[in-house]
Amino acid sequence: MRSPRLTRALPLVELGGLLLVALLCLLFHLRLPGRLPSEADYRAVAERLRAEARPGDAVLLFPWWAERARLYLPPEIPIYGWLASDKADLSAHPRIWVLGQPELPRSDVSAFDAAFLPGRKAAGPATHAGTLTLGLYENGRYRPRRWVASESFARARVYLEQQDGSRRECPFDGRAHRCPGPPYLYVAPEWHEILYEPRHCLWMHAPGGPQRLVAEFDDVPGGLGLRLEGGIIFEFAHSKDPRLSTAHLGVDDAASNARLLEVPVPPGREGVQTSEVILPPGPPRTVKVWVQADNADSRQVCLDVMALEPTVGGRG
Amino acid sequence: MTGRAATRDEKRLAWALWALAFVALCLTESAVGFTRDESVYFAAAEGYAGWFRLLFHAPTQALSDAAIVRAWDYNHEHPALMKTLFGLSHLLFHDTLGLVRDATAFRLPAFALAAMIPALSFLLGSALYGRAAGLFAALSFLLVPRQYFNAELACFDMPVAAMWLLVVYCFWRAMEDSRWGVGCGVAFGLALATKHNALFLPFALAPFALWRAWTESASQPEARARLFRFVGLFAAVAGLYGLLVVSLGGLDGFQRKFFLLSPHTLLFAGMASGGAWLLKDLEPVSPRVTRALVPLAAMAVFGPVIFYLHWPYLWHQPVERTAWYLAFHATHNHYAWFYLGTLMRAPPFPLTYVVVKTALTVPTSLFAPMVTGLAALAGRSVLALSPRAREWVRIPTPAEGLVGVNAVLSILVISHPEVPHFGGVKHWLPSMPFLGILAGAAVVRGCDALWEHVKERRPTVPRVAVLVPVFALLLAPALWALTRVFPYGTAYYSELAGGLPGAATLGMQRQFWSSHVTGVLPWINAHAKPGARIFLHEVNGFSFRDYQRNGMLREDLRAVGAPSEADIVAYQYHQEFREHEFLTWEAFGTRTPVTGLYVDETPQVVVYQRPEERE
Repeated sequence: MRSPRLTRALPLVELGGLLLVALLCLLFHLRLPGRLPSEADYRAVAERLRAEARPGDAVLLFPWWAERARLYLPPEIPIYGWLASDKADLSAHPRIWVLGQPELPRSDVSAFDAAFLPGRKAAGPATHAGTLTLGLYENGRYRPRRWVASESFARARVYLEQQDGSRRECPFDGRAHRCPGPPYLYVAPEWHEILYEPRHCLWMHAPGGPQRLVAEFDDVPGGLGLRLEGGIIFEFAHSKDPRLSTAHLGVDDAASNARLLEVPVPPGREGVQTSEVILPPGPPRTVKVWVQADNADSRQVCLDVMALEPTVGGRG
Repeated sequence: MTGRAATRDEKRLAWALWALAFVALCLTESAVGFTRDESVYFAAAEGYAGWFRLLFHAPTQALSDAAIVRAWDYNHEHPALMKTLFGLSHLLFHDTLGLVRDATAFRLPAFALAAMIPALSFLLGSALYGRAAGLFAALSFLLVPRQYFNAELACFDMPVAAMWLLVVYCFWRAMEDSRWGVGCGVAFGLALATKHNALFLPFALAPFALWRAWTESASQPEARARLFRFVGLFAAVAGLYGLLVVSLGGLDGFQRKFFLLSPHTLLFAGMASGGAWLLKDLEPVSPRVTRALVPLAAMAVFGPVIFYLHWPYLWHQPVERTAWYLAFHATHNHYAWFYLGTLMRAPPFPLTYVVVKTALTVPTSLFAPMVTGLAALAGRSVLALSPRAREWVRIPTPAEGLVGVNAVLSILVISHPEVPHFGGVKHWLPSMPFLGILAGAAVVRGCDALWEHVKERRPTVPRVAVLVPVFALLLAPALWALTRVFPYGTAYYSELAGGLPGAATLGMQRQFWSSHVTGVLPWINAHAKPGARIFLHEVNGFSFRDYQRNGMLREDLRAVGAPSEADIVAYQYHQEFREHEFLTWEAFGTRTPVTGLYVDETPQVVVYQRPEERE
């Protein structure tokens, strides 16, 4: 049976829907410029940061990709923004400035807050500069650093250690400890990416075979958390090729040769791997930070080791 | 399904649309950067053009395999039609006449092909759904920012979309005129010579041809018998080829034993001559059935022949080199691709990828009618299966079915989880003109209903009074977006995505071809010291050279291959390449860029300069 009313109404309904969509699209385009910050907005934010930021502060970008801020903000303040930086501890920083653009399309403030706020509290109301917001937070996830390997690298003793304990030294040339063998065998702090995250860490490419690349550090304080953070950089972590081998990252006590920390990074494991142990109280000790992988291919390790106090938010 | 010839007015309008598109592309192309592939094709095209010079001056030498390989070996992973046209165009319009700059001369043939899409969309849409629907399809096509961007390039994706549409148009016209059937075969050969997407065309067309031949021969036993003979011939040839493969120990053996005088070529010759004889025999019995089958025979014969003839690289070793070409694409490697917050590196890829990507990259005011147009066609097809529903829906015509199948075929092929998913939307561009036609049908269907409604109260209101504002409203957001994002077409995301910022938050790839670097070249030209070393990340050496020879980058600047060697780094913001930016921080001792290209806040290209090199 014919349904003329329906067949006549449907195209009208369809057209109505299409026109409504088009109007919404136009509205979107009309509104978009007003949702974007101007150069003056950035400069205003930069001014406030210059005036109020303290050493140790950091800026976190929301949304994480809004990198244009780097052009304007004071270069001495670290700026963080990478996929998943919303939930990063940023434990090196007691205070975090969140530079937000909540008016951008699909900016999800509640999702950001859910990831960022736990363990943190606002140190005052956020200020606005055009569409930008700048809010200061006390970072309850802050962990004061008492010792950091990448900052002490110049005083480290670096060598290739064979299974029998024999060593080949990697002398320090003022910039890096360079080992005999291929040019990638050296130890120095560098910027690298581990699963999109920028890390200033110790480059310690696994040497291959049973030998270990070792960096020996003195004066590591006791009574604190000793934390290893590291991984395979860039695209090299992704491959699960069976010809690749697991990279082992570890920290030994130099005096007793006791294993303090070890992190295996098998092929295909991406991201920063961590391990932590509480060092017993006592005098400072010497530790051996090491890397080993049977097959050195694509085992491009970057790591850091640090002695940390507990989180400030977790104290007392 | 019967094709119909375009009226004189339609032809005029089609030519006007072609000219409009061609001129628009010519006038705006200088802003579009050279994609990684494009500069490779420029280089290949110059080499091929050089061979034609040799052919003119020393034909015997030019026709030797050594000379052919010297000129045509480069970039032999793609057939040569477009690169040959690019090269000849460059030879004529730049080298000889000096009319245009290098890049423009290379790109002109691509513009000519791309401009065919609005024209052919109009002709096909107009014949199927009326002139207004065809016009909407034509106008909307190049308003899709990513389509306009791809139309500007001397690459193959837009040309093969044009060729695909041309083949389908010829096929449709062949149903009323056998000459178009021959044209269909020629067009198919040219499509094969453009890009390998065309290999899928027979799957879209053969069922329609056979169905048409079947229904047209229903009341003619003699025609039906001849149809069986025709199909039997092709089936027998296919079977014999299969037998050859088996008897020669698989594809390798089949390939090794494939000579000019071998069963392989004999079978092909038998198919060609037998097919022609059968069609000649069929024509007096049933011209309609003949017309349905001519395109199939023409495609089967002209396709391989034109493919072989157009590519000198194949002339001396057709089998091995064609096999290599096919194997290259059958086993193409995968590039990293950022999609919904995940960096995809290897298959299986999400089945919904192509549909989601299309939804997020076609302006929503154009995507919505595509969806309703396709849904209406699919709905009518389903309802037509029910005798009761058939009373109140218009049963889709085979021609509509042809449009519908071609609207989804490329999308379906690329949706396969094992098919490489890099390259934005360019790999399923052949679907888009057909989706545009269905969109036009949807819009005009609504306009006509509205016009009928309005006429009841105001009988004098002309149809155009409804069409113009509706078209304007639907096309305006796309035009707005196109002008806003141009020339950074691969960065475009639709309103549904939330524009570029929304897509960035969704975790979508916004560039892959390096061409957005044009946004920072003026800064580099103004601030680089004389002879400065420049690392243009992702920009290959050919593109660097092309920017210099087209006056877009200072000639004294030198390309280097790593941030550590550079004075200035222009980093292309890709999720998969963040390491390159951090290497720049390391090399330059700073994390602060000096400038960048940010489109609606999204970082595209970030420029760093060594602090000691700053003025």
